[in-house]
Amino acid sequence: MNSVTTYTENELVLLLKQRDQDAFGYLYDNYSSTLYSIILNIVPDRDLANDVLQDVFVKIWKQIESYDNTRGRLFTWMLNISRNASIDAVRSKGYQKSQQNRELTENMYHAGGSTELNTDQIGLRKIVNKLKEEHKVLIVLSYFEGYTQDEISKTLNIPLGTVKTRMRNALIQLRQIIK
Amino acid sequence: MDLQAYIQSGVVESYVLGLAEDQEVVEIEQLIVQYPVIQLAIDEFAIALEKEAFENSLTPPGFIKQKLMDELAFSYNNNDKANPLMIAYNSQNENTTGQYQGKSSTNWKILAAASVILFFVSAAANFYLYNKYNTTNNKYTALLNERNLLQASNQVIQAKVNNYQLATAMMANPAIVTVQMTDPSLKENNMTTVFWDKSNKKVYLLTNKLPLPGPNKQYQLWAFVNNVPVNAGLLDPTCTSLCKMKNVDDAKAFAITLENKGGSQTPNLGQLFVLGKI
Repeated sequence: MNSVTTYTENELVLLLKQRDQDAFGYLYDNYSSTLYSIILNIVPDRDLANDVLQDVFVKIWKQIESYDNTRGRLFTWMLNISRNASIDAVRSKGYQKSQQNRELTENMYHAGGSTELNTDQIGLRKIVNKLKEEHKVLIVLSYFEGYTQDEISKTLNIPLGTVKTRMRNALIQLRQIIK
Repeated sequence: MDLQAYIQSGVVESYVLGLAEDQEVVEIEQLIVQYPVIQLAIDEFAIALEKEAFENSLTPPGFIKQKLMDELAFSYNNNDKANPLMIAYNSQNENTTGQYQGKSSTNWKILAAASVILFFVSAAANFYLYNKYNTTNNKYTALLNERNLLQASNQVIQAKVNNYQLATAMMANPAIVTVQMTDPSLKENNMTTVFWDKSNKKVYLLTNKLPLPGPNKQYQLWAFVNNVPVNAGLLDPTCTSLCKMKNVDDAKAFAITLENKGGSQTPNLGQLFVLGKI
């Protein structure tokens, strides 16, 4: 950042809605690392994560008109865009296919130095890792992998009611860790 | 309504994280209007989450910002300058349409010819690229196979190196007794070596030379404790270097006999292949 200008969230949003180039640069400089970490939490492949980050900022730029700051913080809004874009990327056919190819050569990757980062210690995974196992699995499946509660119930073979209760408890635990 | 209980039920967090189900979202958004305290709880969690997310972040590669700036440049504020040009271009077209009307059928033919040519060029390019893609794909698969093969042989070599390291460490260890075992009748030059670690009683066997056992036969190692042969384990035919055998507490000698597959309780001393005294 060359400029020492700082904006409040409201100013920033206003300028972005007016398509101000400096404001966009400022937004990128201030939020890209944090959003990138969340993306890496979901998309471990670094090249794909780079693409998703780019895609996320294009979306933010294009959808800023629809952002309403009375309905939530800017970061929360951008976080949700990042999460959704990441889950979509991981679920895309191309990525699934590349993962299958990778499995065949898994040994190779383990011996030859991993091309992936350890993303457990960055972004929100770091907090989620502090949860008890039964809570952690629910957050990982729902938040990072985008499964619905119904799908989780079927995957883990746990009644839907139990999934809902545990999920609520997991979220309460999560809040206590963050506070 | 018990607002505190509602706020603490986890619904606030699930709303902020985007995990709430549609019906929950509708409900909470209606309640926010009625009870500002819910909005406060939402903001509080959102801010806490934001702080946490900022603490453990990783900077993306620098080229992404440049790419974004380039990609979005057309839609920045300064694109106002482009608009007058567009208007000028349009009005120019309007002025000139009269002149071009007479030639419009010629234009059609030229356009059609151009598009046919373009089509063929594109088809040829597609064909060329498809071939190129196939070749590259085949090469890629071949490379992948080659890498897997290299990987496999690398693993074999690593296993061997590990064994050699183990053997070297044993030879250097003063607690280890090395017992050379040879054919007692001295007719054959069969030989095996036992490495016996007296400190932890572990026994390893290195087969220097032994004839291949017949079908349904297997070599068995014996330790002589107080002149009584004690089973020290069967030789695994798949073990080609240093093989871990059974632990032996105290022994004066080791011997290997050929037994029926699966081993015996007592050694068949008529089939004694090698013997070594400590």
